[in-house]
Amino acid sequence: MLELNDVSKSFGGTAVLTRVSLALNDGETTVVLGPSGSGKSTLLRTMNLLEIPESGCLSINGDSVTFGGSLTRKQVSAIRRRSAMVFQGYNLFPHQSVLDNVAMPPVLNGKADRAASRARAVELLGKVGMSHRLEEYPDNLSGGQQQRVAIARALAVEPDYLLFDEPTSALDPELEAEVIRVMVDLARERRSLVVVTHNIGFARRVADRIVFLADGGIGFDGTPEDFFASESERIRRYLNVFDAV
Amino acid sequence: MTDFLSLWADSLPQLLAATVKVTIPLSIIAFVLALVVAVLATVMRLSRIRPLQWVSRFYVWLFRGTPILVQLFIIFYGLPAAGITLSAWTSAIIAFTLNTGAYAAETLRASVQSIPRGQLEAARTLNFTGWQTVRHVIAPQALRIALPPLGNDLIDLVKGTSLVMVITLADVFQVGRQIAATNFQPLALYAEVAVVYLAIFTVLSFLQSRLERASNRYIRSPRA
Ligand SMILES: Nc1ncnc2c1ncn2[C@@H]1O[C@H](COP(=O)(O)OP(=O)(O)OP(=O)(O)O)[C@@H](O)[C@H]1O
Ligand SMILES: [Mg+2]
Repeated sequence: MLELNDVSKSFGGTAVLTRVSLALNDGETTVVLGPSGSGKSTLLRTMNLLEIPESGCLSINGDSVTFGGSLTRKQVSAIRRRSAMVFQGYNLFPHQSVLDNVAMPPVLNGKADRAASRARAVELLGKVGMSHRLEEYPDNLSGGQQQRVAIARALAVEPDYLLFDEPTSALDPELEAEVIRVMVDLARERRSLVVVTHNIGFARRVADRIVFLADGGIGFDGTPEDFFASESERIRRYLNVFDAV
Repeated sequence: MTDFLSLWADSLPQLLAATVKVTIPLSIIAFVLALVVAVLATVMRLSRIRPLQWVSRFYVWLFRGTPILVQLFIIFYGLPAAGITLSAWTSAIIAFTLNTGAYAAETLRASVQSIPRGQLEAARTLNFTGWQTVRHVIAPQALRIALPPLGNDLIDLVKGTSLVMVITLADVFQVGRQIAATNFQPLALYAEVAVVYLAIFTVLSFLQSRLERASNRYIRSPRA
């Protein structure tokens, strides 16, 4: 369970999230939709404490933090190890091989020794279809390949929740499809995924749940069926943009 | 021409001795210490503690903003007036360390800041500690980026050591000058001194390009 309670976040006096509460269930794929600037990234980044809200609290499977005071390093790391983030820009470490990118983090986290971590990394890279490029450096890979390595890296630290912030927005359609395929597999395995995306097809086909952000709060929270059938003016306007293309 | 060559042959042992005894050790000692100072100044500059940032900025401002010759004079001739008397060697090491350190600190700061922010966020979400992030993400990349400009700082330092004669040290240039003053062959001698510097420069730029190539192996190759 990932729970946000009454979370508020602003940037320089501009409120982005206003008293947002949300409870996500393990094993579900939640897709976060919303117009540009509605706070999707901010919401996702809060779950990993890349953004620290002014108030409210966050708990993930028994670890919790209350915002407002200062957080200890221990609290932050306890929450952080429960999720891992996949970024739009991949953010692989360019000086490390594909294999090292995936194998190093568990070792640094003290979760596994070098040999075990390498074996696991090879397995995860196989899962995302990257077995053939283990010793390659990230800059020599296509965007789709880099993103699949980034997904393997996120899986390597064994998070409860995988957080995706527009993982395919920088990719051409065919490369997008390879990444989406990997994400669909993860959803089928009943991993807990939170996905910010503009890929409406993915939301329609894969989401167990849709969260729609608008005006600093949650404008919709429910099943994809209900979402795509919604009569709400704001949701219709948002979806029309995609129908137009 | 034969005159020229025999002049060179006669004076070469003395010039090489001065190179080995002063120019090279001074350059090496000052450069190693300068790197330590530069790392320290960079850590202070990029720390979140304001007074440390100020100290670092002030240091770089002071030593980049004044000529090395003035720095040498202040340390060797000026400080005794304040009760601090240092040998020529100590003065030279201090001046060249602090001067080169200031340039190297700027180089390192720019290198660290050129690492994309996204990588630091990735390190945070992967729960790396601050030290692990420095050790495994920032330092290896910053050093690679800094290598060519640091090599240039070293080359500048070697040539700059020719100024130590003003504080009585007998480096290769000073010894060349002394010989020229006795045999009245300034052209031959100064040309010979220039050749010694060129030889050092050639070795250094060779090493520099080797190091760069070794550390660039993960950069996208032209074929890819
Ligand atoms: N670090 C920051 N400093 C200042 N303002 C910020 C910062 N991060 C986000 N914002 C602002 O907060 C608002 C929400 O940003 P956020 O990135 O969460 O939106 P988003 O829904 O992810 O948008 P997009 O679809 O464009 O990615 C925007 O108005 C943005 O300009
Ligand atoms: Mg966003």
